[in-house]
Amino acid sequence: MPRDIPVIETRRLILRGPEPGGYPDFKATFTSYRARFMGGPLNPYESWMLYAAEIGHWKIRGFGMWMIHDRQTDETYGMAGGWKPAMWPEAEIAWVIWPDAAGKGFALEATHAARKYFYRHGGWEGAVSYIDPKNLDSIRLAERLGAVRDPDAQTIDGNDAVYRHPSPARLEGTQLNHGIEMEIGHYADPLFKPKGWAID
Amino acid sequence: MTPIPTLTTPRVTLRAPKLADFDALAAFYAGPRSRHVGGPLTREQAWRALAGEIGHWSLRGYGRWAVEERASGGFAGMVGLWFPEGWPEPEIGWTLIDGFEGRGLATQAALAAREHAYGVLGWSTAISLIASANSASQAVARRMGARPDGRFTHERFGEMDIWRHPSPGDVADGGMEAYA
Repeated sequence: MPRDIPVIETRRLILRGPEPGGYPDFKATFTSYRARFMGGPLNPYESWMLYAAEIGHWKIRGFGMWMIHDRQTDETYGMAGGWKPAMWPEAEIAWVIWPDAAGKGFALEATHAARKYFYRHGGWEGAVSYIDPKNLDSIRLAERLGAVRDPDAQTIDGNDAVYRHPSPARLEGTQLNHGIEMEIGHYADPLFKPKGWAID
Repeated sequence: MTPIPTLTTPRVTLRAPKLADFDALAAFYAGPRSRHVGGPLTREQAWRALAGEIGHWSLRGYGRWAVEERASGGFAGMVGLWFPEGWPEPEIGWTLIDGFEGRGLATQAALAAREHAYGVLGWSTAISLIASANSASQAVARRMGARPDGRFTHERFGEMDIWRHPSPGDVADGGMEAYA
């Protein structure tokens, strides 16, 4: 295929296109209850075809979802990127974090980098995220990314809330951007590290 | 990503699927003829199916081609090598969209795909999974020299017949033209 998927490096992570080796981790999450807000849980056939579709999405749209890897160990933590299958009203910024990797700021770090990439190199003027209203973790992440609920935007099927991301102008070089990067910085290099643990 | 080779036969070209094929594919999957191949699908499901066809190439190194009728340049359907998770064995599959069936295009394209599987990929055998009620598809399998070889039940597609293709050696002995 002519179009190679770009690679993005962040402080702790490296984002690469979905590869065959990442499938078992993808399957573990998408066949589990964790996938309940993302159209799952899927059966093994559906999960494999969705993984294949993640790759095909890149070819069809020229953008798509990256696999999030640890820079040091190459372990996968989840996926983040752009998503716009047929019937999606607007291009979406989407993410999923494997349950074991949650709570470490990886989704914030990866999604912030992916959004920046689309704004700088993809010509995106904005983006939305379609989120199940019960998916509180994702709503929190959308808010930490500076996205705001847009009650007037068209939804996918009426069962999702639309969060609108700040435009490139409202993000680049602003306090919002600085705050996001500071939060990522605290995850990557916590200011207050325990110097040891009490033995008793 | 795996480059998708282009194969040419007298009447069809097998090439990489592209977005321009989508409307015709979605129309097929919305219609009644798709009932044997997991349909009907909504437009959104059909889009993901097309994306999945492309991604299959990356995950397996082979997949299904978009078939173009050379005379008209029209997109005729999807034919090729298919092995998603949960499939009993790699298969040769074919789907012709409405208006291109009944003219031998599927057989010609599927023979080219089988030649690729045996000659380039080194497969030692191949099957095709066909719904019992899909007599048009069974006729294609028969013309290719395949024989019924058991049944398989899929969690989504239900019960299907397994058709076993002649081995690479049998194809070489009989010659392609014996089945065409």
